[in-house]
Amino acid sequence: MTDEKDLDPLRLMRDWFVQSEKMWSDAMSEMMADERVAKTSGRFMQEALHTQRMFSESMGQYLSNMNMPSRTDILDLKDRVSQMEDSLNQVLVELRALRAEKATAEDDPAPRKKPARTRKAPKKSD
Amino acid sequence: MNAKQAHLNDTGAEVPQSEIDSRVDQLIRRTLDRNIPGLANLPQTESELEVGSSPKDLVYTEETARLYHYTPMSDEVYRVPILIVMSPVAKGYILDLAKGQSFVEYFLRRGHDVYMLDWLAPRANQKHLGFSHYALELVGNCVDKVAADSGEPDITLVGYCMGGILSACYTALHPEGPVKNLACFTTPINSEGMILHKRWVSSSNFDIDRLVNELGNIPSELINATMQALRPLQRNAGHLNLLNNVDNDEFVKAHLRFDRWAVDQLALPGEFARDWTNDFLRDNLFVQNKLELAGERVDFGNITVPFLHVAASFDHIIPEAASKDLINMVSSEDKEEIVVRGGHVSLVAGGNAMYRLWPKLDAWASERAE
Repeated sequence: MTDEKDLDPLRLMRDWFVQSEKMWSDAMSEMMADERVAKTSGRFMQEALHTQRMFSESMGQYLSNMNMPSRTDILDLKDRVSQMEDSLNQVLVELRALRAEKATAEDDPAPRKKPARTRKAPKKSD
Repeated sequence: MNAKQAHLNDTGAEVPQSEIDSRVDQLIRRTLDRNIPGLANLPQTESELEVGSSPKDLVYTEETARLYHYTPMSDEVYRVPILIVMSPVAKGYILDLAKGQSFVEYFLRRGHDVYMLDWLAPRANQKHLGFSHYALELVGNCVDKVAADSGEPDITLVGYCMGGILSACYTALHPEGPVKNLACFTTPINSEGMILHKRWVSSSNFDIDRLVNELGNIPSELINATMQALRPLQRNAGHLNLLNNVDNDEFVKAHLRFDRWAVDQLALPGEFARDWTNDFLRDNLFVQNKLELAGERVDFGNITVPFLHVAASFDHIIPEAASKDLINMVSSEDKEEIVVRGGHVSLVAGGNAMYRLWPKLDAWASERAE
């Protein structure tokens, strides 16, 4: 009896693509490794960088006139938030160190038990 | 003349058009019924797709480095702790994907004390952090911190991808210790094996200085694009494969976790990218033992500790040809290479890794961890 899945035309198409993907990918990669493609993509990147600079400068001025934040302003804000996260992380690290110190103190009622470092590797069976 | 084509069944009898229509209709309905309810399995939010779930403490933080200590899962652990060094462009949760699919969890359950050096994307004012700073300062400080935190003078260093070369450079420049064992996974050492990337950056039109000067840090989108270009249709094939298995809840979740990680790259500090492009991709200094970090030449022959290299035979990101030289360059008497069938990611996560590689690594590390 024919498997119901074999009759699914979309599945057949997907299976074909999945099975032949590596071949197509390899062909595309080989094409991209061509010197001319490498040169073109390098030039494209230079142009994209130039365009981005021109665009962000003009857009930045425009947004500033409109009293609106630019992408650079948002990224600066992201950096500020990440600096605050860093500070919080430093506090967490300090707290952990303090907790460890307290645990080693004699008067600590509930010391945090560390596992013993005495484990041995299982013997190799011949 | 109107030619009417007859449709015959197996016995030669004519099949009425209405029955054909009905069968086609049934087939379409069955296909839709099978696929659409499966879509309900797709997690709706990121929290439903929890990753990195093993309990851990933040031990140390410096610039882009985050050192975590995973809570041990046994009462007795091996003496020598393991420090995993991730690649600066990859997030560490690939090694701790989910309960039961976690490299970290496996090692914790096998009695190892595990630390991980994970990285954050650099901020704009961290664009000056170069390869040398990562290998000597950030890796070095974390190694010292692990020694202090564990109270042990020795550690086993495990580096993944670019984390492997950072670990190898650190070990080569500190032969006196505290690295007792070194394991490198799919570590780039010879840029001749990375044909596409080498060709791109060697082109006269590719100006890394201009790229770094304009962008500061190299954005994760650009890094992701260069990775995807190595096998352009793989992700599309993965998505189609997902549709084929959409009624399998476990497959869907595992696929989405992998897929999330595969595009979740980290930005790279501009200076690091400049060093990587010039020293590795263009001049290929690693494999010639000619790289200099902070004025000192990195000679991988100085590595004498037990060494393990793991490569994947279908790795398209760091092909075997780019990593195979390392084992011949180290001077360790106790050295071994494992080449597994699989790709860059399935090397450390997924079924193949779980049942074949992890037990081998555990055996290798535990024999040298007393």
